[in-house]
Amino acid sequence: MPKTINDGDVIKTLILVFLFSCFPLFAQGVEFDVNHSAKNSVIFDSEAPFGTVEGTTDKIDGYLYWNGASVTDNSSFYFQVDLDALDTGIGLRNRHMRENYLQTDKFRYASLKGKIVKATQLSSGVFKVDVQAEMFIHGVTQNISLSGTLSKTGEKTYNIKSDYSVKLSSYNIEIPNFMMMKLNEVVQLHLNFNLQQVIK
Amino acid sequence: MRILNSKAIVLVLFAISAFSVSAQISWKPQEAPVELPLQLFHSPQSLNLPTAETLQKGDFEFEISHRFLPPVKNGSKDLYGLDGPVNMRFALGYAVTDNFVVTLGRSNADDNVELKGKYKLLQLKESFLPMLVGVQAGIARNTQTFGQVASTGRTYQYFAQLIFNTLIEKKFGFGIVPSYLYNSNIYKTDVQSSFTLGLNAQYYISTLVSVLAEFNPTVNGYLNRYNSAAFGVELETGGHFFKLMLTNNAALNSTQYLAGSDKSFSSSDWRLGFNITRLLKF
Repeated sequence: MPKTINDGDVIKTLILVFLFSCFPLFAQGVEFDVNHSAKNSVIFDSEAPFGTVEGTTDKIDGYLYWNGASVTDNSSFYFQVDLDALDTGIGLRNRHMRENYLQTDKFRYASLKGKIVKATQLSSGVFKVDVQAEMFIHGVTQNISLSGTLSKTGEKTYNIKSDYSVKLSSYNIEIPNFMMMKLNEVVQLHLNFNLQQVIK
Repeated sequence: MRILNSKAIVLVLFAISAFSVSAQISWKPQEAPVELPLQLFHSPQSLNLPTAETLQKGDFEFEISHRFLPPVKNGSKDLYGLDGPVNMRFALGYAVTDNFVVTLGRSNADDNVELKGKYKLLQLKESFLPMLVGVQAGIARNTQTFGQVASTGRTYQYFAQLIFNTLIEKKFGFGIVPSYLYNSNIYKTDVQSSFTLGLNAQYYISTLVSVLAEFNPTVNGYLNRYNSAAFGVELETGGHFFKLMLTNNAALNSTQYLAGSDKSFSSSDWRLGFNITRLLKF
């Protein structure tokens, strides 16, 4: 053992290391992951002259993070939806949607990645949140702003609700002519899902 | 000595903070990807031959099909066949499960009523040559025969088929359908049976249109004069399949087309025909 380092110095170093790792000073924020045991839903609906098509799934995954007193401090989130899991109630229609419109073999997930830029308290534990995000569907990324409601549902759980209109052509999703009367160019997206705090 | 130690402390602290910053988000994708059934051909049927596709549990499929008896080459006096007479069929299929479809169908030829079941046996999800293997079998009764049948028992016919399908690059579909028919010709004194090797191919041009062809040669047993062949076009919309074809075989129900054709394909004795199927969900 080299003579330059003695036991006293080693002990001092170890104490400092221990103290710094105990204090959640600068690094730790709070992270909430999608709670898979809760009832989550992602619904899109299209109302057209020849009928309404509604596609649903509960396969949403992701996280919400912030570091500070408000949800807007160092905010970041990422959520993704498995498009292969979308069900419109008719097997053949699901197949057409996956193969012809969404091409899920190339673009399996749709995602939303961004940050909360503004939070307004509506009532105790309920906030209207405005976000700036990148929405990714069918290989196309769009910068969007959208609003939602963030509600504290328990000690360590939150619920997020949001509605958004998606213009299919903005994401290069083409509706063939013979489907024009059956599908709306603009589909309404309804999100309602739940988060659980990750204990680090 | 002191310098060495303070450097060590700084390095350790730096390491901790670097470690903490990079470990901010602990989320990793958790959801197991959804397992989808293997789907090759788009329609459960080629022109006459079945594909290995089934429906989703609870689906109904309604079919109406025509084969115009006068050959196209008879020309305008028969309106290329459209004047008729016509062999027609209508049928209703029901998906008992995702892998099992039962179909009841009736044709005006001998008032043949058939009950058949199709079961999807195997799904092989290879990337280049994915395969589906299915089996279809049924029983038919010819309820209004125009000639003499040896006994009432002879009005019953039976058939069974194995279905091997593949789809290459999502565009080229191929099927091999070895088929067996018992009591191929109900009017013959002795009971006849037939083995055919059904072959079908389909090319999906766009989301709407595909072209397809079928050849169903009899390899053993009874053949009603000529081997069957057919070719045509398929249109697929949301819920409908429209098949328009030319074929030498005017029979529609399984125990009738499997027996062979009364007219020759190679002599261009082709007849116009169509199949329309509609997916129904109640």
